Amino acid sequence: MRNGLAAAAFCVVALAAPQAHAGAQNATEWLERMTDALATLNYDGLFTHTAGQQSETMRIVHRVEDGRSMERLVSLDGSGREIVRTAQEVHFYMPDRRVVLVEQRSDEGSLLRGLPAPDPKLDELYTLDVRKGSKLLGRDVRVLDIQPRDVYRYGYRLWLDEETAMPLRSEIVNGEGKAVEAMHFTRLEVRDRIAARELEPAVDATGFQWVRASKRADPQVAGIGWRPRKVPPGFRLVATRVQIVPGVPMPVQHLIFSDGFASVSVFIEPGPAKGPSPPESTTVGSANAFSTQIRGHVVTAIGEVPAATVRDLAMSVAPVEEQAAPAKSAPERPDR
Amino acid sequence: MTDQIREQMSALIDGELPRDEVGLLVRRMARDAELKRAFGNYVLAGESLRAPGSVLASPGFAARVSAAIGEGDVNEIAAPPAPARAPIGWRRPLAATAVAASAALAAVLLVRPDGGEPQQFAARSGAPETLPVVSLPVGGSSPTPGENQRLAGYMVVHGQYATPIGRRTVWTNALATDPGITRVSPESAEAP
Repeated sequence: MRNGLAAAAFCVVALAAPQAHAGAQNATEWLERMTDALATLNYDGLFTHTAGQQSETMRIVHRVEDGRSMERLVSLDGSGREIVRTAQEVHFYMPDRRVVLVEQRSDEGSLLRGLPAPDPKLDELYTLDVRKGSKLLGRDVRVLDIQPRDVYRYGYRLWLDEETAMPLRSEIVNGEGKAVEAMHFTRLEVRDRIAARELEPAVDATGFQWVRASKRADPQVAGIGWRPRKVPPGFRLVATRVQIVPGVPMPVQHLIFSDGFASVSVFIEPGPAKGPSPPESTTVGSANAFSTQIRGHVVTAIGEVPAATVRDLAMSVAPVEEQAAPAKSAPERPDR
Repeated sequence: MTDQIREQMSALIDGELPRDEVGLLVRRMARDAELKRAFGNYVLAGESLRAPGSVLASPGFAARVSAAIGEGDVNEIAAPPAPARAPIGWRRPLAATAVAASAALAAVLLVRPDGGEPQQFAARSGAPETLPVVSLPVGGSSPTPGENQRLAGYMVVHGQYATPIGRRTVWTNALATDPGITRVSPESAEAP
């Protein structure tokens, strides 16, 4: 009976051969396999998301067509919010606010997706270990431990299905070894195909305000050439762009940092005319944000890293011309 | 700086400089700090014109060029594939192609106007420690709808640039709840 329930909870209908092999030997290979599985398999699952005292049930549907990854993530409790990533755009439905945020899709994420595997420095930043785990959903699993070597990044504990490398359970752990966030699949189906209609939102957005980031960004408005003076160990600037962010009235400069596994975005937007406001910090599960004002611009850093890391990166950026200017020498002391 | 050098830099940014000339130019930039700084400024100028949605260079290209400049070894450099058509030219808009943008990013990473990579904060190694003091909260508050919408927008955008596991983490949290915002005392927010 128990096995029957487990079989119903996890179902692999038909897998393409490349994903079905189970030849991974070490932790890095399992990390590569998991990253690949998340991006390339068709799957539909229910999972529990827990952060702090809050716990919600969510559904994820992931579909790949012509090599393009599309997905729908929906909160089944509470807010009823949904994020749908189509081939062209990302739609964030917020029925509690009667708003839909629309962001142009970027494929740059697919570049970053490949970073953990080839980055030889990953071992310098994290210790990786893999071991056999107890069954989950009736499936054999490997437990992948990714522990940071310093305080600038979180650790991960991932329970991976041995056949597909899909994470059936995950915990994000802070510097004190305490889980700050956990996800646990209660049902997961890996299918040969996912129908397009399964990515359609359940939300009726009639009458909602649609906030689009479709205008061409004006770099003169956004302010060009901001760069970090310092970065936390292991992080590097991997991309930079000027863009419109849905919900933000002005074009912003966007700097993207990665250590090969975790990433941080820093957004720089012209400051409000009403004057400076005090710095703010925000914690949402394992995601942290820090916002402050620098040189008349609002600088906001956000990432799946500890609060110290987003704060340090936000405080470290400055206009390039300021950094390039020669250091001022001390004024000469007048002779007495 | 001669026009020829400018044209070579333009072609490098566009990913159209022949392999043998890439080597010469990189060696020259490695020796000439002024040239290196000028190149960085050109790249930034081009970057500022880039349309949103441009695709960036493969990390491998950036790393190869960066390593070569650092070590003076140009044999490892392979320029990104050039577009099929193509008059080379400094006067050509730098935002013309995604490939141009690709090379531009690579160059931004390898040649900074201030002459080097940003410094890193001191590493704290060994066993996990208590996190450094980040802020002195001076009061929590419920964010306004505008603040929530701004943060949600940032989370959606950031998720696009994260790894698949990172994207799921950030987007799941965006769905889960509206965050509370903690005001931070100004003295705790000094630059590191």
